[in-house]
Amino acid sequence: MALSTTFIQDAQDQAQQSTAYDSVWAGSDVPTQTLSGLEQVMLSNDKLYVVLAVVLIIWFGIVILLLRNDARLKSVERTMEEQGTSFDDGL
Amino acid sequence: MNWIQGSWAVLQKDLKLEMRNRYALNMLLMFVLSSLLLIAFAIGQESVSERMQSALLWIVILFSASIGLGRSFVAEEERGTVLLLQLNVPGSQVFAGKLIFNFLLLLAVDIVALVVFALLLNMVIENWGLLIASLLLGSVGLAGATTLLAAIIARASNKGPLLPALLFPLLIPLLLSVVRASRAALSGGLGVSGAMGDLQTIILFSGVVITAAVLLFDYVWQD
Amino acid sequence: MINLRRYTLVRNTILVWMTVVLFAAFLLNIPKINILEHTARNLYFHVPMWFTLMAAVFVSAYHSFQVLRSGDIVRDIRALQAARVGAFFGILGLLTGIIWSKFTWYVGTDVWWNFDPRQSMVSLQLLIYGAYFVLRGALDDPNKRARIAAVYNLFAATTTPFLLYVIPRQMESLHPGAEGNPAFSEITHPIMRLIFYPAIIGFIGLFWIMYTQRVRTALLKNRVSHDPEL
Repeated sequence: MALSTTFIQDAQDQAQQSTAYDSVWAGSDVPTQTLSGLEQVMLSNDKLYVVLAVVLIIWFGIVILLLRNDARLKSVERTMEEQGTSFDDGL
Repeated sequence: MNWIQGSWAVLQKDLKLEMRNRYALNMLLMFVLSSLLLIAFAIGQESVSERMQSALLWIVILFSASIGLGRSFVAEEERGTVLLLQLNVPGSQVFAGKLIFNFLLLLAVDIVALVVFALLLNMVIENWGLLIASLLLGSVGLAGATTLLAAIIARASNKGPLLPALLFPLLIPLLLSVVRASRAALSGGLGVSGAMGDLQTIILFSGVVITAAVLLFDYVWQD
Repeated sequence: MINLRRYTLVRNTILVWMTVVLFAAFLLNIPKINILEHTARNLYFHVPMWFTLMAAVFVSAYHSFQVLRSGDIVRDIRALQAARVGAFFGILGLLTGIIWSKFTWYVGTDVWWNFDPRQSMVSLQLLIYGAYFVLRGALDDPNKRARIAAVYNLFAATTTPFLLYVIPRQMESLHPGAEGNPAFSEITHPIMRLIFYPAIIGFIGLFWIMYTQRVRTALLKNRVSHDPEL
């Protein structure tokens, strides 16, 4: 309930604060069906959580990449140990 | 003159071998016929829009090309004639011969697919010239890309299903323009003038693909 | 082979740089736009993914070209790792784009995927890289693999520019600059560009860090087992 009230509040705010950058998007009909729970959360606080979701996706992507790099490095280290290569040859 | 003779010799050799057992041709035609029948049975009596007709036609041609033409270099390896070709004929002539051979096979596929499709789906062709032009030009580009990729997969250890996976992402630009051009040919009217742009794209695409393929072929062909 | 001092310098600079960009992205006030609202800030995060993928494609194609010229296996390592990390950024760009459009233009609908030209092009580029990785898996000898994979990578790079011309004629776009949509400069306040361009540099720098790390690992692998494939 609280969420949807904020959403209406936001809509009023936005009508007052709209700027010259507002009206340029062509075909910008906002669909006005009922919103699902996920959408209510994502649209609250001027859609700030959408930005959060995007930043989190990128962050976790980078984390996955880091972990995979680590796994590769570990497999190379294991091969080196098996071969008995010393770690300090020129590195 | 020498260059043309070399390519002609490669083409002639392939044609002779093909005429002996008609393996590639029969496989291609069987594939085209069975997939077309499958489509016709699945659709039933429903009338299909021009867009769907041209899309289905090209998807059938594309799939049969990716299945039938992949053998052109694999067959050389199986017969053990690769070394002979490598020593006797320069790479670009081998490529040209194979390209023309694949193009001829594709022409047969085009004709059969078009005739059977027109009969089964009650295709009404408004503009024959445009349709034939798009089929011909599309087949040139298709043959160019397939010939290089067939040479690539002949080098791979697991040859079977590799060609479609490599081929389709590269051919999306060609497929989209060719489908649009054939749709214009089927529906006629205003679309025809717009289809000239698509034909230009197809010509440009085929030109670029064949040029790139000729330049890159030697790196695949020579050991 | 790899200048470690340069690597460390660039890495530290990029990490500080990105931290500043992140703060600025959230703290700087931007004009409020209908539908977009705060999501306009996604300009700093989603759009650089696309630029990073483009940069990765260029790096990968360049090194593939060098493979054919010199037959150097190190170039093949570089081409492969650029493609791998680039594909990763491409996936991130796709996912963030889907989230962004879902909660702006597609609110109240069930649309998640749309046939936007740029979205289609990124997915095709990912498909090409998928085929590239599959092809590498089917080739056993490292030298032959380097050469043949380079041929495929370059061949793909000659066909993709057509997508830029063909695909926008087939589908409608949500992105600025397309037909019927305002140009990028019309809807982007100068203050946003102040962060947007640094964000692009920062993300390409991040790509470079990841890519160099992987190249270093692959070179090590090549030294111990004479096969750089990871």
